[in-house]
Amino acid sequence: MSIASTIIQNTPIFGKMFTVDKSTGLEEINAWPALMIMASFVWLAVAGLLGFVMPATQIFDLDTGHFYTTLTLHGAALAFPFSFQLMMGVGLHRSGGCVGKAVTGVFPALAFITMNLGAALLTVAVLMGLKVSLIVMYPLPIVGAQMGIWSMNSVILGFTGIYLVLACMILCYPILVLKMLFFGTKRPELVLSERSLNDPGMLGMTLSALTLLIAGTPLVIVGTTVLFALYGIIPMTMAAWATEPVVFQYAFFIFAHNLMEAMALMVMSAMYATLPLYLADGTRKLFSNRIANAALWILLLTSVTSFLHHFITLYPNQPASLSYWGNIMSWGTGIGAALSIFTVLATVWQHGLRAEPGIIAVLAGFVLYILDGASAMVTSNIAWAFQLHGTMWQSGHTMTVIVAMSMMWMGVLYHHYPVITGRKLDPVLGVWFVRLFAVGGIGAALSMLAGGAAGMPRRFAAWNQEGWMIYGHLIWIFGLILGASFVVYAYSLLKSRDISSPVVRQVAAA
Amino acid sequence: MLDFLFTGWGAFWMTLFMLLPFAFIFFYVIHRKSVVDSGPSGSTDKKMSRLEGIWLTVVFVVFVGVNLASLKFMPTIASAHAATTRTDIQSIDLSAKSWAYELSSREIEAGRPVRFSGRSTDTMHGFAVYHPDGRMLFTMMLMPGLSKPTSLVHTFKEPGKYKVRCLEYCGVAHHAMQDELTIVKSN
Repeated sequence: MSIASTIIQNTPIFGKMFTVDKSTGLEEINAWPALMIMASFVWLAVAGLLGFVMPATQIFDLDTGHFYTTLTLHGAALAFPFSFQLMMGVGLHRSGGCVGKAVTGVFPALAFITMNLGAALLTVAVLMGLKVSLIVMYPLPIVGAQMGIWSMNSVILGFTGIYLVLACMILCYPILVLKMLFFGTKRPELVLSERSLNDPGMLGMTLSALTLLIAGTPLVIVGTTVLFALYGIIPMTMAAWATEPVVFQYAFFIFAHNLMEAMALMVMSAMYATLPLYLADGTRKLFSNRIANAALWILLLTSVTSFLHHFITLYPNQPASLSYWGNIMSWGTGIGAALSIFTVLATVWQHGLRAEPGIIAVLAGFVLYILDGASAMVTSNIAWAFQLHGTMWQSGHTMTVIVAMSMMWMGVLYHHYPVITGRKLDPVLGVWFVRLFAVGGIGAALSMLAGGAAGMPRRFAAWNQEGWMIYGHLIWIFGLILGASFVVYAYSLLKSRDISSPVVRQVAAA
Repeated sequence: MLDFLFTGWGAFWMTLFMLLPFAFIFFYVIHRKSVVDSGPSGSTDKKMSRLEGIWLTVVFVVFVGVNLASLKFMPTIASAHAATTRTDIQSIDLSAKSWAYELSSREIEAGRPVRFSGRSTDTMHGFAVYHPDGRMLFTMMLMPGLSKPTSLVHTFKEPGKYKVRCLEYCGVAHHAMQDELTIVKSN
């Protein structure tokens, strides 16, 4: 039995949700992905609880230190060990099944360990006092230690944690995917749904892995240099170039922005692969593979350099020409999105749709993703960027893109879950999950965008001024609804039935 | 004419303008083809191609139109224009350090352009100016270690007390990093 299967089996509560089916001979592509997906839901539970506490500290006027602690932990837990790890798990399961290669060996183990150990170390560092927000805000960690706000030990520990998480996302996972796609021998017994690189369901996986590897390499170089200096392996003077805030910030955002785009490419690819399986007439094909692939390529080409919109308000330190470029490229991603929208709607219009909870969750997540895309394009326009940068609009954008992609992956998981566990999910609970998630996700997104339009700052522990608290209450209420949807999803995982048992209750009953 | 779109809540209305038609059509198509009639629609490829062309044209026109219309409201263009054409620009130098600002002056004449030039001496900070009605007028990102200051030219139209806030998270007292500008009537 695989180590991954053993860990799952010995994990209380969450282990029961993801016990791997060993009767099908597919354990080699099921076990590690199942463990990653299980771990992602553990982190979701942590992130959800913190997401509940964060606005509560403001609404009930609690200590501002609690707000910044939960802010740092909530953001980090949601973005990396939950969202990225969920993508990693489902994505690897897809890759294995598409090319007939086992997800075993050193790399899956390394990816799992670096992600979870890294996130755990960062958590400990934050509990030791390090409050640096989701995106590190370099050079804040060092300045805070110099000012005596937190200890240098917490900075070193936190930096080590972040570095391990980055190593997972930039090196372990992409190398593993590329190794599976381009190297090794195909094993016919592991092929679940064979795909070539011309297939949009496969192209996005490849582009995503390449994007992470290429866009992340500068940050790995900068991060490694800083880490070596922090541990005294090299003198601090040798790391001076890497500790320049402008160097760190640009290296960070080239990666961080493209991380989100890579995750989008991956999930769009998964949607293109999953949608045809639920068409009513059984044709199992998209309206046009050509348009779907064009959408992925346009998204890739435009998004790579659109990260420049993060520094529009640094004018004239970032030359205006680069800001205009970032502006135009950001709106260019909208052309890719327009092609995706057309492909999805034309496919459904031509062939009809079997409205099962999994595919409806994917499509609801897609709607949220488009809402987020619209908000991202608006804030990337230079005129609006100067009024929105640093406000709750940005937090709304970040949260929405993560929630949208997570919802799409959770929808795709409906399709993969029976293969992994030999069990199926209750469709009635699935309908309630989709309803609650759509209301909570869209409501929370619009509340945060409205707060941003009203000038409400992000990462700011003083909501009770200028009438901003109304947005705080709305964020809290819709966040609770979003949390309820996760509880329903977790409950449906716990109550999953054997694949051969009949479904007593029907979706129509919902 | 387009002031409403590029100030205050304009960004929110623009997002809804892009989202709502999409959400309505999306819901209609999914509902129609999964609940009302999930059979094949019989639409020809030629008809779908025409629809695709119309859709992409509309998207392209909206995208180009919005971005062209925004040019007039871009602070980068206004700053460059003021720097080359105006000689009566007021100048305010500011320095940000956790968790306060040092400003060369806190009093500004309404109707006369003012250039803010800002630096940070420790970590990332912001310099966001809020209108007395609560909406944000503009924000600047201040990054330590840069050779030249972040700079912006703005013309205040109305007298009053304008709040300044830091919008780049800078540590445990970030929310307390505030200041105030007084805009007085022009002589």
